Amino acid sequence: MRPLLILFLVLCSSILQAQQEISGRVTDKSNNPIAGANVYLQGTYDGATTDQQGNFFFTTLAGKKQTLVVSFLSFETIHKQMDVSLMKNIQVSLREDVTGLDAVIVSAGTFSAGDNSRVTVLNPLDVVTTAGVAGDFIAALQTLPGTSPVGEDGRLFVRGGTAGETKVFIDGLQVFQPYSASANNLPSRGRFSPFLFDGITFSSGGYSAEYGQALSAVLLLNTIDEPQQTETNISLMSVGGGIGHTQKWNKASLSLSSSYTNLAPYQELVPNKEQANFPKPYENLGGEAVFRRHSKNGIFKWYAAYDHTNLEVLQLNLDSPDLLEVGLNNRNFYSNISYQGVLGNSWSVYPGLSAAFSNNHLQINNLHVNTREVAANLKLKLTKRFHNRFKVHIGSEYVFRNFSEEVLTPENPAHTYEVQPDNFAAFTEADLNLSKNFAFKGGVRGDYMLLQEKVMFSPRISMALKSGKDGQISLAYGEFLQQAEIEQLKFDKSLQPEKATHYILNYQLTRPGSVFRAEAFHKEYGDLVKYDTPQPGFDSSYDNLGEGYARGLDLFYRDDESISNLQYWISYSFIDSKREYMNYPEEVTPQFIADHSASLVTKYWVSTLRSQLGFTYNFASGRPFEDPNKSGFMNGKTRNYNSLSFNWAFLLSPQKILYFSASNILGYKNVFNYEYASTLNATGQYDRKAITPAADRFFFIGFFWTISKDKAKNQLDSL
Amino acid sequence: MESFKFGQRNQQSQKIKIMKAIIVYILLGLISAMSTHAQSPYDAGMTEAFELWRNEKPTEAANLFERIAKAENDNWLPFYYASQVKIVQSFPMTQPAMKEQLLNEAQELLDEAKGQGGDEVELLVLQAMLHTARLTVDPAVYAMKLSPVITDLYTKASKLAPENPRLALSRTEWNMGSARYFGEDPKVYCPDLKDGLKLFEKEERSPMIAPAWGKERLQMLIAQTCEEK
Repeated sequence: MRPLLILFLVLCSSILQAQQEISGRVTDKSNNPIAGANVYLQGTYDGATTDQQGNFFFTTLAGKKQTLVVSFLSFETIHKQMDVSLMKNIQVSLREDVTGLDAVIVSAGTFSAGDNSRVTVLNPLDVVTTAGVAGDFIAALQTLPGTSPVGEDGRLFVRGGTAGETKVFIDGLQVFQPYSASANNLPSRGRFSPFLFDGITFSSGGYSAEYGQALSAVLLLNTIDEPQQTETNISLMSVGGGIGHTQKWNKASLSLSSSYTNLAPYQELVPNKEQANFPKPYENLGGEAVFRRHSKNGIFKWYAAYDHTNLEVLQLNLDSPDLLEVGLNNRNFYSNISYQGVLGNSWSVYPGLSAAFSNNHLQINNLHVNTREVAANLKLKLTKRFHNRFKVHIGSEYVFRNFSEEVLTPENPAHTYEVQPDNFAAFTEADLNLSKNFAFKGGVRGDYMLLQEKVMFSPRISMALKSGKDGQISLAYGEFLQQAEIEQLKFDKSLQPEKATHYILNYQLTRPGSVFRAEAFHKEYGDLVKYDTPQPGFDSSYDNLGEGYARGLDLFYRDDESISNLQYWISYSFIDSKREYMNYPEEVTPQFIADHSASLVTKYWVSTLRSQLGFTYNFASGRPFEDPNKSGFMNGKTRNYNSLSFNWAFLLSPQKILYFSASNILGYKNVFNYEYASTLNATGQYDRKAITPAADRFFFIGFFWTISKDKAKNQLDSL
Repeated sequence: MESFKFGQRNQQSQKIKIMKAIIVYILLGLISAMSTHAQSPYDAGMTEAFELWRNEKPTEAANLFERIAKAENDNWLPFYYASQVKIVQSFPMTQPAMKEQLLNEAQELLDEAKGQGGDEVELLVLQAMLHTARLTVDPAVYAMKLSPVITDLYTKASKLAPENPRLALSRTEWNMGSARYFGEDPKVYCPDLKDGLKLFEKEERSPMIAPAWGKERLQMLIAQTCEEK
């Protein structure tokens, strides 16, 4: 019998490590089985994968209390602590992870561009390879719906708002002079080179409580977190040249870029029209730098930009036989530093500071105007993530702006105006994702305006609801305010901020390779500044009694896949807007509004030619203008605007690109507006002149060369 | 069995025999214990995971690699394999949201492997593969952004270990893909493929200790691309 005893003892030794069976079923909240989930005891190898019915079964030798972990992609992982002997036929139901990619995203009013996001309508590459935009990404944004093309100005006019109603932010901090300096009816450009930025978000309404002092729109630009490689870029163009270098180190990188533009040689070859005669053509020297450093918990960024512009132009003067001599000299410096990092315990922090100095000298005949602006933006934002489903942001910012102007004329003593509309603000906002199908964002912003010693609150709400596999509906409501324009505030410091209320309804359908959006909006303006003279002056009388509205529909469709090698997008905007502001005697459609506007952008890659060919067609219906020879106010309408542009990028080798573009190739005679003389001529009429582009067509030839170790990289994405 | 043969001899000899038997049993136990130790839980688990993968059960395999990784917690290799299984699994997938989700998981696992101080070159190669998989989700969106990143990763890796056969395989395959995209003949990479094969022949190692995959894939590529039909 003894051997049996021994056998028993031996068996016992394994029984001591009692084997336990663990079983159960994994489902989602609606009791549908989840197959492929990983079910295991934490810290052991023991576990199993659920089968098609969601069932799992495994055995373990682990004793007593254990933590059972159940995880599956796009669901929240569950940890259950219990006695192993009780882990039999257990039912586990998993909650969807709302951070998943197919989760709903609030999209009312917002166009996200670039980044790694799939739901993108415009990536940085598009910005610059679009025919007719000449590398200016402000111009590229004007192929999106919701913007009104105002060719003689060049700045962004969004949904019935003036250009001053759109604010630009770099890495979360306000930019005070986003456009290049320009004179009288000559379009300005964006100051920033597109290839230093990676995330571009353009919001034409209903944006977050984080952004204030903007009535109509915000453009958020984020510098690239990490450049791809060390490289040098050289460009030679018919209008100038540029050189850029990016140096990468282990944890840090620096990008420098500078450019010089001079239109003189170009204008020798292709003379402008008579009414735009430049004794000193547009000349610009600019440079930008971005430094980033990654640390264990965050990223530090420094951005700086400098540019210097000068030009002299002779313009037709309807009130005098002599030409109007206009001269401009502008120096602008902007810099910001910011840090984005995690603090632990689900807190993250963002502090930032920007500073800007701008000096502008404008001369019109013997009138000299010197303006100087010093501005700064200090901001701190904290975010606490309570859960994937619930986040809270709180923040505060201070905006310092000091503006001074000196007007010199031979007859009068110098006039000086100074105004400092400082602003302190605090905001809080919560993001709530109840499920993958419903997201909500709500916040409020309080602005304290030091000039008027006034506090104002702006609530903002937006939400999104999934309406099918690929579709979603978003809604947004918000109140917005903005200090009166400096041009008016400098004369009357008691002017109150202007106000707007936005209501937006958006539908978006995203499929692989295509995006469709339709957005209806309604916007109410109040407290707009009015004055009683032809131009705002020190002797005008001002009030805040103006008002207005804008409503309309924007459509956008982009398709990259249906036709191979062809990318295209179509946008269309309808707007109905009227306002009574400035010196308007009644509520009318303002001069910068075209009721209908549309763009078609196409890009076609021809591999046999190693070329990308692109066409852009822009259309805008006629815009109102004021004709003093007829009765009524804003009684005229310009002809429709049409332009077809073409570009051709040819890869000489993977690192050398030859680029050619021509705008308005059909030579359509576009008229932006009319200007009238202020005095009657011999026949009792006011003479007029048309405001048109400086030349009907513009040609551009460039050669781009990238020098890097990686031979495949080229500047196609910086054209 | 031998023990049943003991008869009624003398007590002494019986005792000795019992002692002998006990020793035998203890030895047997020790040996069996040793053999399971030689086949340690780690090796057994890894073997099982490879077996699952080979039997086309990638979900089960990835899950097991992940369990091993989390239980071990100081070994980069199971994280590496868990990530690799998911990357390989993602390539043929067509549903973009699921594919990206899987790749996000693969990226998390790969980051864990990096955090455990894994072999830098192997991790660079796997990172490049992951980016390549992501590129296939939507080439129109990702190609311009990720191509230079991928090329950069290969450049970095080849500076560190020009002789790594998986680097040679992966980089050549990437170059062939680009060539195909630009309408060039991938056959020009055949010499590179054959050089890669030599590198594999030099390498002898167990997948339990370090990544050792790739030879079969390379042979298949050579057969598909370079051998005349």
